[in-house]
Amino acid sequence: MHINYKLQDRFDLAIFIPMIVLVIFGLLAIYSSTYNHPTASGNFQKQLIFAIIAVIGFFITFSLPQQLFKSFAIPVFFMSLFFLLAVLVVGKTIYGAKSWFGVGGFGFQPSELAKLGTILMLAYWLTYKSRDINNLLDIGVALAIGFVPIMLIMLEPDMGTSIVFAIITISLIFWSGISLFGLFVVLSPGVVVFASLFGVYTFIAALLLIVAALFFFKRDLFNSVTVFIINLSAGFFFDYAFKILKPHQQKRIASFLDPSADPLGSGYNALQAKVAIGSGGFFGKGFLHGNQTQLRFIPEQWTDFIYCVIGEEFGFLGSVLVITLFLIIFLRLFKLSSTAKDKFSVLIIIGVLTLLFSHFAINIGMNLGITPVIGLPLPFLSYGGSSLLINMVMLGIVMNIYRNRKLHT
Amino acid sequence: MDDNYFGSYFRRRIIFVIMVGFFAISITQLFNMQILEQPSYSEKSDENSVKPIYQTAPRGVFFDRNHKVLVGNKPSFTLRITPSTYDKKLTPYIEAILGSNPGYIDRILKQNESYSKFIPRRIAKDVSFKVIAWYEENASKLPGVDYIMETQRDYSFGIIGSHMFGYTKEIPMETYLHRKNEYDIGDNIGFGGIEKTYEDYLRGDKGIKYMLVDSKQKTIGRYKNGEEDQATVKGDDLILTIDKDAQSVAEEAFKDKRGAVVAIEPTTGEIIAFLSSPQYDLQDFAKVTTNEVWRELNNNPDKPMFNRASMSTFAPGSTFKMISAIAALEEGIIDTNYRVTCNGGFQFGDRFFKCLHVHGTVNVQTSIEKSCNTFYYSLVNKIGLDVWSKYAKKFGFGSKSRIDIPEEAAGIVPSTDYYNKVYGKNGWTKGFVISLGIGQGELNVTPLQLAQYAALFANSGKSARPHFLKGYTDTRINQYVEVKPQTYDIGISKKSFDIIRRAMYLVVNGAGTATNIRSDELQISGKTGTAQNPHGKEHSLFIGFAPFNNPKIAIAVLVENAGFGSTIAAPIARDVIKAFLIKGDKKENKNLAASTNIQEEQIAH
Repeated sequence: MHINYKLQDRFDLAIFIPMIVLVIFGLLAIYSSTYNHPTASGNFQKQLIFAIIAVIGFFITFSLPQQLFKSFAIPVFFMSLFFLLAVLVVGKTIYGAKSWFGVGGFGFQPSELAKLGTILMLAYWLTYKSRDINNLLDIGVALAIGFVPIMLIMLEPDMGTSIVFAIITISLIFWSGISLFGLFVVLSPGVVVFASLFGVYTFIAALLLIVAALFFFKRDLFNSVTVFIINLSAGFFFDYAFKILKPHQQKRIASFLDPSADPLGSGYNALQAKVAIGSGGFFGKGFLHGNQTQLRFIPEQWTDFIYCVIGEEFGFLGSVLVITLFLIIFLRLFKLSSTAKDKFSVLIIIGVLTLLFSHFAINIGMNLGITPVIGLPLPFLSYGGSSLLINMVMLGIVMNIYRNRKLHT
Repeated sequence: MDDNYFGSYFRRRIIFVIMVGFFAISITQLFNMQILEQPSYSEKSDENSVKPIYQTAPRGVFFDRNHKVLVGNKPSFTLRITPSTYDKKLTPYIEAILGSNPGYIDRILKQNESYSKFIPRRIAKDVSFKVIAWYEENASKLPGVDYIMETQRDYSFGIIGSHMFGYTKEIPMETYLHRKNEYDIGDNIGFGGIEKTYEDYLRGDKGIKYMLVDSKQKTIGRYKNGEEDQATVKGDDLILTIDKDAQSVAEEAFKDKRGAVVAIEPTTGEIIAFLSSPQYDLQDFAKVTTNEVWRELNNNPDKPMFNRASMSTFAPGSTFKMISAIAALEEGIIDTNYRVTCNGGFQFGDRFFKCLHVHGTVNVQTSIEKSCNTFYYSLVNKIGLDVWSKYAKKFGFGSKSRIDIPEEAAGIVPSTDYYNKVYGKNGWTKGFVISLGIGQGELNVTPLQLAQYAALFANSGKSARPHFLKGYTDTRINQYVEVKPQTYDIGISKKSFDIIRRAMYLVVNGAGTATNIRSDELQISGKTGTAQNPHGKEHSLFIGFAPFNNPKIAIAVLVENAGFGSTIAAPIARDVIKAFLIKGDKKENKNLAASTNIQEEQIAH
């Protein structure tokens, strides 16, 4: 027990064990969904290799000196921006998006590296000396740090990942203690943009709401007018941005707003995913016995719809176990954020938590039919090497922070 | 605000609530879907992936009385289009590969517009393997197109028999609405002749194969290894009373003629041959019948769709003289000593009724042997219209024989009531009746009735309802069930029959009108006739039976627009009789079992 205590003191099993169990679940689900598949049957072996590499990556980041991360922030961030630019020029097009570098048989997604870079950079910027989070310029720079990769990723285009970056950026600013008005300034354009999706009238209604809120905050005229203009231009800008979205992305948005609009497109996948999960019942249909999965009713199920393999073949028990494992990791990360010794470390943990949680929530929500179909992988389970490696490396950083939490305090 | 600081308690709480809240929502949703709504999702999942494939059972096969195949089954590919997913842009390509005219597919789809667009339409039956190979290669580019393998009628056994066999066709909407439990849209149903009468025997039971299909409806395998499948039950095979040889001879003889042949086994009513000419090609109906084919058949001046054998009615001419003769004998109006002098005709009032020859002194037997009209002109008025009419009806004229195919006409036998009804009480004269004596005037009979009439002479007044079905093999219990003939006796003395039968014997074997077909081997007895035809040249008629002492076959032959009975109709009758009575040593395929087990497999793609 003594040894165990010492191990737990330096290495958080409450994160590591659920993470490994999730990876194993993922491997099982990938094996099942690609079982006898004509083109994807090699995915299980590939993912197994990725998992081994990712665990190695996890232990490397775990054992690095903690001070390194702060000095990594700027180089990693700019390197990832460079890659994001480069991928637009020389990247491979997979599923209609230019988001991959092909290296031999394997591909690499720079947006995954950018997640790490952006979290490090934001944490670095927001905690640099005495940053005033309510200073408009400081917020502006923080927003810009998030906005640049978002724009580059939108151009690929990869809407899901852009949303994740937006959530991370806002969460970190929020955590840094932004005032309610500041948060209002940051968030209100998002509300206007969302409202504009539903048409002109909701757009105008949202603008009126913004005006009402501005009266409530009783700021001076200059500030209020500036905020209103920002909102107005956000709405128009989005209208422009919507037009440069790929048709399949516009369709996805339309299908969320009106599920009957596209019964055989993304709405079809969502429906089939629900049928797969629902028909699993309490105990599931058994490994390799889910007919929705084995008969390939959901295309590319091993990526974004991996959760419904679990739902169908392992039933309610398996589904609940998987989201419980996630919750354990999230609560553990949440707890660790309060034990970290410096603000930089706290923001990194919050960034990793937000990243994993937003992936988790958007993916599970999509599988369960409670959020729109936005293509995002489920961390640790979905097929994909870059994502698995970066997720594990980020938990490695968190674990590194945990290992060093008692030093210099 | 006091909580505007790094990692404030307020902010922690919000993040915590979002995380735990989402977890709670997810668990609730999972509980809803996987526990509460599990049955409905399960059903959807099964509906998705388990596809019942209905397999039409092979129809029962027709055999002749000697167990030779008359109508069989053969496997064939049927190309189908499901309008809901079909892309009309594909039409030219499919038409090109089928070798059909442009617009063909559009027409078929239009013909079936009233059905749900999710139900596949049969576009072409019996398509070649080349078409199927082409389909298989391009299946992914052909949404809404598929093919099935099913059985189709095989008419390649040497005889046509279109009017008695009838055909099968896709079930019409109104029939389908009445028989929803038994049929699906697109199923074939018997449409005429034996196919219609014995539909319930022939169709068998559908099978269901449960197949697993993937999201592209591509078949992956069997559901539960086929445990839940239901096997098809083949329809009952019918053993018909038809004699293939006799039928084949009749068909051969009528190749370039219009008319009918009906041959009956006199004691049992079994129909040995049944022909209406011209025939139509049943094979046309085995494929998808287009409106053009229909139009062509219906507009043909020879009326190939019309069943002359049991539907055409005409005045039977001299073949009807035996009615007057037997009525007069039975009623005691005449005996064998009764004589009439024929001077070439009969004067009645201001009208002269002609005889073909000057026959001199004629008794009842010579009147039939030589077909003297004069004898009958005077006789019919002695008998009286209603007595004559009673005897005509005893022999089955004026009413349907209740043969086991739906197409049958009753004909007309005039009586006092009939004339009163048609012309009014005083609107007709005795002159109307005189021509009835020689089978002319408003008398209407069918070839089938004439054949049955001949059968009654053959068997001296005892016969059975004419029918096609000798027996059937009940597939469910795998047993042969014999159909009992429904016999009857028309109650006329053997003495009278003997006189008439002797006369009919002399027609062929004495100095009669049909000595050209005399044959010691066959011992044919009969009567020639010429049916007046208001539309053109007279019809040639012959009725008869053979052999004389123990008749095995009775026959009626009608050859339209062929003139005098003995030259055209009688030789055909003789050939058919010969084919039936004298069997050669020809070894033909009698293998009943082999041909019944035609396998059927239906594959869906």
